[in-house]
Amino acid sequence: MVKALRGNPVGIRLLLCILALLLAAGALALGSSSAARADTTPSPTPTASAAQETIQVWVRLASDKSAVAGVTVVVTGPKNFSQSFVTGADGKVLVGVPRIGDYKVKLDVSTLPDKTLKPAINPLDTPVARNDSGDPAYFLLVPGTASGSGGSGGSTASPSPGSGSSSGDSTNYFALVANLTANGIIFGLLLALASIGVSLIYGTTGLNNFAHGELVTFGALMGYVLSQVLHLPIFIAIIGAFVLGGAFGYLQDMALWKPLRKRGVGLIPLMIVSIGLSLALRYLYEFIFGSDQLILSSNNASALTLGPVHFKQTDLISIVVCVVLLLAVAFVLLRTRIGKATRAVSDNKALAAASGINVERIIRIVWAGSGALAGLAGVLIGYYQTLRWDTGASILLLVFAAVTLGGFGTAFGALVGALIIGLLVNLSTLIIPANLQNAAALLVMILILLVRPQGIFGKRERIG
Amino acid sequence: MDFSFIWLAFGQIISPQTIAYALAALGLTVCFGFTGLVNFGQAGFMAVGGYGFAITTVKFGWPLWASVLAAIVGAIIFAFILGIPTLRLRADYLSIVTIAAAEIVRYTVKTPQFVPVTGGTDGINGSSSTFDAINPIPVGHYGVGVLMYNQDDLWIIIVGWVLTLLCALLVSRLMRSPWGRIVKGIREDEDAVRALGKNVYWYKMQALMIGGTLAAIAAIINIIPTSLQPDNYGTQTTFFLFTIMLLGGATTIMGPIVGSIIFWIVLSLSDGLLSLAVTYHWLPITSVQQGPIRFVIVGVALILIVVFRPQGILGKKSEAYFSA
Repeated sequence: MVKALRGNPVGIRLLLCILALLLAAGALALGSSSAARADTTPSPTPTASAAQETIQVWVRLASDKSAVAGVTVVVTGPKNFSQSFVTGADGKVLVGVPRIGDYKVKLDVSTLPDKTLKPAINPLDTPVARNDSGDPAYFLLVPGTASGSGGSGGSTASPSPGSGSSSGDSTNYFALVANLTANGIIFGLLLALASIGVSLIYGTTGLNNFAHGELVTFGALMGYVLSQVLHLPIFIAIIGAFVLGGAFGYLQDMALWKPLRKRGVGLIPLMIVSIGLSLALRYLYEFIFGSDQLILSSNNASALTLGPVHFKQTDLISIVVCVVLLLAVAFVLLRTRIGKATRAVSDNKALAAASGINVERIIRIVWAGSGALAGLAGVLIGYYQTLRWDTGASILLLVFAAVTLGGFGTAFGALVGALIIGLLVNLSTLIIPANLQNAAALLVMILILLVRPQGIFGKRERIG
Repeated sequence: MDFSFIWLAFGQIISPQTIAYALAALGLTVCFGFTGLVNFGQAGFMAVGGYGFAITTVKFGWPLWASVLAAIVGAIIFAFILGIPTLRLRADYLSIVTIAAAEIVRYTVKTPQFVPVTGGTDGINGSSSTFDAINPIPVGHYGVGVLMYNQDDLWIIIVGWVLTLLCALLVSRLMRSPWGRIVKGIREDEDAVRALGKNVYWYKMQALMIGGTLAAIAAIINIIPTSLQPDNYGTQTTFFLFTIMLLGGATTIMGPIVGSIIFWIVLSLSDGLLSLAVTYHWLPITSVQQGPIRFVIVGVALILIVVFRPQGILGKKSEAYFSA
């Protein structure tokens, strides 16, 4: 399995290719690094007494991240604590709180200089723990009334819904469920785009690609560079992310995975290589783009209203693009020669090769296609919520859960699994704490493995 | 120019962190290197052990032996829960389920509703009280130059190393025993072992439990000199452990220990050099950008080890179990 190190052309080429890949990614995004650096999260101003806990309030415009001064915020907390503060010239105010506990920071909308702008989430819940200084309560002002509809403010992998579950009002509850369902379907469709690639790569090469999240992040970051740094229109950003994502997938296969396949490296080592690649790429993204949230600015006004559910323009674009792309993938897989060949390779590589299919070519196409779909998923997730250097990594396990639910190696299983996971992640917040939403999805995956290990659409013999 | 970071880097040779990662990687070696289980949830086992110890010590006030027992029992139960659905399945399912279970643990302990017990995102402080109470070393400072340790640091270092060497000895005896031959057989050819009438499922479960127990002990050593932070037990910890294990040699006893020492020296040295580079503007990077570089180094190192030296530093090529 292991050839001699010295004078091994494959090995040297591999090494060079990895370096070239990393350099290329760096160079590609270098232009954006200065822009990204400008809005790094501020380190909280040190206070005189170290024991005093503080909340850092920061009010900015979502569009260009400029600070908004002179806005009144009211901080309420345990034991009837309630005080109002006004933001300074840098849009910030540091609020000292008397004791630890859960605080609410409410922005007084009537004091905003531009009345057409509203904070995406208001009030913000800010838990303060012992010795915290500068717990963030950051308001981003967006046009229109986005308040409470979720979607725009989630900072984790999937949006957290507006805090309305406590009200017993049945119409409110219905509205909440409807919103969560809509969010779940959109998130599920986005997951599906990312999952199909994982499933196809697994089917054709047997590789469990832990670096797939970085393909997703790559698409999101390319969308960011195109739309926010180069100021190109939204559809160019989306198409660009799709094309560049495909190119990245193709290059990855050419530079890394193909040489490794030729060396005959086993599947478990390959899986560990993908983990190494995932770590290296993810932190390279952080190195270039910083660790702050990046925002793909979009029109946050409601473009379509169905009963209690408001859809943003980008939500609608996401739904349409996802459905069209998923149908296209289905068509390619079922009706074209390449699709049939792909399924043949997934089924039995040796037999496919024997019947004249160029297996390496199919694998190249699958990598490019998976990269493109992942890139698209990334940029759409960026528009759907926010993006960061670890956006892809934070949904990777959900992608795996979707693929496992549907059945490894089956593209359509991945679609169904992704929709289930998307709905589950969102609707589970009705009964469990919001930060356990991903845990719930993962738990369901483990439980499904107990009763039906091959997944919903998987074949029995695949489970080994 | 301040070169004290070089001394601090070599202080990593004996630091509790190095001991903890060596022990946890040793547990991973039992699972992955010897039995062939792709356990990506080692950080989860550490978290279960760490919380088992810290909660029983700080919140319930249990004595030391009972807390250690709680941590070990917790890890064994966790192994049992994980093993039931997955040990009958193929390797990649085990990898995904274990990594998912580790994340479930981390999400759960961070839940705000559980703050009274788990401390939420802040974790738990002060779990060293019962351990330091039996410290026989007189109060004072020991060491040379910048490497100074107080009596409590020295106590955990000594106990940690003794424990690590004992565990290494135990694992080494275990692997030479009939039990060890059977699990190695499972790694090479599961069906052959099954044909000999052995209960493969149960042997895998035992290997997972032993690996988890070592991870739980490692977590205790890790949190005693510092504190318990939930985010220290994320997926990247598992990947660090894999790097350490593969660096030293996945099928060797001393591999994880040597790997852990080298790993932390290299990381510490690179951090120190980068700090110098940032301070003196040798490189066009900021101090914020310095943080991610160590992870990039680990990632690239992991790829290179797997591709070019899968048997690690100490491993034998013939036993480089590493192909599926």
